Amino acid sequence: MKRGYLWLSTVVVLTLIVAACAPAATPAPTPPPEETPAAPTPVPPTPPPEKVTLLFSDWHLTEPHWEAALIDAFETFKAEHPNIDIELDYVSYADKETKYTTEIEAGMGPDVFHLHAYSIQSFLGKGYLYDITPLIEAEGGDDFLKSWYPQTLALMQDSEGKYYAMPGDFMSMVLFYNKNLFEEAGLDPDKPPTTWDEFLEYAKALTRDRDGDGEIDTWGFGTIGAIDPGFELRVSPILFGHGGDYLTPDNKCSALNTPEAKEAFKFFVELVTVHEVVPPGVTAQNPGTVREQMAAEQIAMLLGSGWTPPIVDGVNPDLNALEVLEAAPVPVKAGEAPEFSTTAWLSTWMINPNTKHPEEAWELVKFITSKEMEQKWFDDANVLSPRQDVSGEYEPLLSNKFAAVIAAELAHAKFVPQIKEWPQIIEAVNTAAQEGFTGAKSPEQALEDAYNRINEILSVYREAGETCPAF
Amino acid sequence: MKGKRRRGAVIAYLFLALVCLYNLAPFVWMVFTSLKTDKEAYAIPPTFWPQEPTSEAYTQVLLWTNFPRYFLNSTVISLGTALLSTLIGSLAGYGFSRFIFRGRATLIGIILASQMLPGVLLVGPYFKVLAKFGLYNTYPGLILAFTSITLPFSTWMLKGYIDTVPEELDQAALIDGCTRLGAYSRVILPVIAPGMVATMIFAFLLAWGDLLWVLVLTSGDKMATVTLGLSRLVTQFRIIWPQLMAGSAVGALPPVILYLVLQNYLVEGLTAGAVKE
Amino acid sequence: MNKRRARFLVFKAPSRQELEGYAFVLPCVLMLLLVLGFPVTIAVLNSFTPLWSEAKTFTLENYVKLARDDLFWNALSITLRFVGSTVLLHLIVGLAVAVALNAQIKGHRFFRVIAILPWTVPDVISGLIWRFMYNPTSGIINDLVRSSGVTRSYIEWLAHPRLALPSVIFSDVWRGYPFVMIILLAGLQAIPRELYEAARVDGATAFQEFRHITIPLLKRMIIISVALDTIWQFRRFGLVYNMTFGGPGHVTEILSLYVYKQYFRYFNFEYASAVAVVMAVIMLIISFPYVRMIVRRV
Repeated sequence: MKRGYLWLSTVVVLTLIVAACAPAATPAPTPPPEETPAAPTPVPPTPPPEKVTLLFSDWHLTEPHWEAALIDAFETFKAEHPNIDIELDYVSYADKETKYTTEIEAGMGPDVFHLHAYSIQSFLGKGYLYDITPLIEAEGGDDFLKSWYPQTLALMQDSEGKYYAMPGDFMSMVLFYNKNLFEEAGLDPDKPPTTWDEFLEYAKALTRDRDGDGEIDTWGFGTIGAIDPGFELRVSPILFGHGGDYLTPDNKCSALNTPEAKEAFKFFVELVTVHEVVPPGVTAQNPGTVREQMAAEQIAMLLGSGWTPPIVDGVNPDLNALEVLEAAPVPVKAGEAPEFSTTAWLSTWMINPNTKHPEEAWELVKFITSKEMEQKWFDDANVLSPRQDVSGEYEPLLSNKFAAVIAAELAHAKFVPQIKEWPQIIEAVNTAAQEGFTGAKSPEQALEDAYNRINEILSVYREAGETCPAF
Repeated sequence: MKGKRRRGAVIAYLFLALVCLYNLAPFVWMVFTSLKTDKEAYAIPPTFWPQEPTSEAYTQVLLWTNFPRYFLNSTVISLGTALLSTLIGSLAGYGFSRFIFRGRATLIGIILASQMLPGVLLVGPYFKVLAKFGLYNTYPGLILAFTSITLPFSTWMLKGYIDTVPEELDQAALIDGCTRLGAYSRVILPVIAPGMVATMIFAFLLAWGDLLWVLVLTSGDKMATVTLGLSRLVTQFRIIWPQLMAGSAVGALPPVILYLVLQNYLVEGLTAGAVKE
Repeated sequence: MNKRRARFLVFKAPSRQELEGYAFVLPCVLMLLLVLGFPVTIAVLNSFTPLWSEAKTFTLENYVKLARDDLFWNALSITLRFVGSTVLLHLIVGLAVAVALNAQIKGHRFFRVIAILPWTVPDVISGLIWRFMYNPTSGIINDLVRSSGVTRSYIEWLAHPRLALPSVIFSDVWRGYPFVMIILLAGLQAIPRELYEAARVDGATAFQEFRHITIPLLKRMIIISVALDTIWQFRRFGLVYNMTFGGPGHVTEILSLYVYKQYFRYFNFEYASAVAVVMAVIMLIISFPYVRMIVRRV
């Protein structure tokens, strides 16, 4: 009786469980026609010319212009490779690392995916990248790679020189300014600031009450203070342009204790706290909201790159951004010509080590990074290429008033340190900036705390007994 | 007496009006933004009323290739989670409420404790389990995942509701020849209907609003949900506000409809009439 | 007692009553075990594994590191403040709204729908909407504040170290109280109207009714809702993630967000697990009195 009851109850419940999940057992009523089975399902090793489906994931797919460009390009690819089909896996910009790490860790994930170059070292450390060195060798090795800028290729390798990725979008940060606001403030729009001192003068002149109600409503400069991948792109030019850097060359200690770094950081913070040339609320601003400020003519200058003019134009077509905005090299410290004065931004194409079709995945990566496609990415999405035969030769690119400046500045652009601890390091700097902006700490104190924190993070690279100098 | 009651009603209305303001302000902002043009949505300073109201964002979102599919997925997954966790939860709640057995206290504690590790840590290993059983990118996989989150909560809530029902009701049913299962399903379930509504809504909304699990446990659009679809409107470069807000406004409808349907069970509550003191 | 059985079981053989009890809770326990058993084990084991290492050797280094991690202690203190204030506010607002909605006033159905509306907005989107509204220069809140003439300055709701956490809490209460409200409303439904009517005949005031009927009969559901809400609030991070990502500085960095950062931003899986395990232990300690109250069938 007891047992019978127990079994009965279990069976009833299990039936309920099954019943409650029933919808899943039957196929969905009307699957969209373009639907294909999920890529990671193993394909039985039967006839050789089998149809292979690659799962392709890219945050660009969530941006309409990029989505159109990619889908269009993949039609060409599929025509060239009739045995390969491509399934798209959309992912939002903010969630891509979360998705890929979990999926790859579990032995699955997209065959080809797209990330920031700064993710390479951490993904490599976790074994999340496919070694493409043999595939590159098969294409001709160095001869195949000679079209790319060497500094971009350097980032794609591990310490032994093996390749784990191919360079993607490649751009330098430049200064964008609104020439109408320059004119209104009595500045010459053909003479953008070339030194940081000049920049500050300009920013002060541009910070004004334009509608005459006694309140400041337009600011000279917009920058971001929120914790965001865009932060490093906008703070690094100021640091590099003052001759400073984040880390010592051996990556064992922070280099934020140098006079150059201290000066740069103080300058950055005081733009907000002392000179008030930046709109309020800087620690909550991200690249998107700063571009909105640009579109609303609330700010006159910002640091941006190829993507800036089209987005500003999209947000407020009345501004006529493509006409009104101008690009100029990032200013440098007066009297100096540092080797590097701006940041380079690079994305990267990767193959999943779990892929069942590495050759096909490589075909796709090769296609995406081919000269023709790199030209298309510029035409359709305004990004510059890591290929010298595109960014240095493609006529439409060189005759574009924004792209020309960005391409020229690539020579002065430096990458942020490529170590797997980088996300923690830049967050420490970000925290210091926020503490400085809000007055929670003096710039000096905030930077010192960041310096110590970074050294703590880097302690794994130091031998026992090795110490970093005091701030 | 009467005056006092009227005063009470006035206070209740005033208070509810205040609550409405708090609850609705972000919602009104959401709906107004959804009716704006792209350009107006980004205006600085912001406009309050849409200057040229347009339903374009709605058209775009709804005709958005796969949005109906997301809706279907969200509904199936959320309903499945709500039903499953409420059923199993009410069984367990009944067991914990009506029976004394060894390990009972420990089990109640453990069930709650199972929720104390954050999802970010669990989602990876859970993925491996799913992949092993071929449940990756399927409804059951997601429903099971969400149920593992909601079930402890449902169990606890339902145990609480069942505790308030006097045990004499069960005894009467047992004397009438019902089995335990019969007493549970014929006597207890109807009485705790309001509590079941509450747990169902809770479970439904959890599955509806989740991003992390759906993000990781699905691929492509086959199993994508409304929340996941909406999250893709936050692109690298900008947030497509009118569409995001339109999608969110439309996305609020299914839970509200579910609530309206279930509300009838909430309205008058117990008919059994007695409460355990 | 059956002797043969007693040889195998050290304990007394379960009675029929016990077996029935097990049968009812079995599906729940089984399911949690099946779904969560492996992931929880992995997470706990991970916390005892050296950082970024292939070798799965046992170590306590993550816990040692944690004890010395200022950011962990900072996150813990912020979490306690965040959870404490939101749970309290959820309860106050939720109970008040539930009582008001339980009154048989006209339009209660309408108000009930309004009351759960915030809950229907996914955390991700709630966070974005509030961030949008809080924006110092382009947000509607400052626009209203400024045009109402209270102040002409731009209040930095999420950017000011003192305002950020209260602003986040204000949004969290909006999103979170309907959960408590609906638990309590369902509990209120179970209180028979006759009790109130009898009290009214005796000339009880509304407050006396609330104090002597509502509270005692609702006590159990209040305890449960507070227990569940506490755990819920400990786990939540979607709102903070989208509103401030822990900033400015680290003033809104709650533990769940810290775990997320350690895991998905820094890839310190092992350290993140250790933080989470400590977090779980703290939650266990905090929820222990609730569990005891619930288990003792008051």
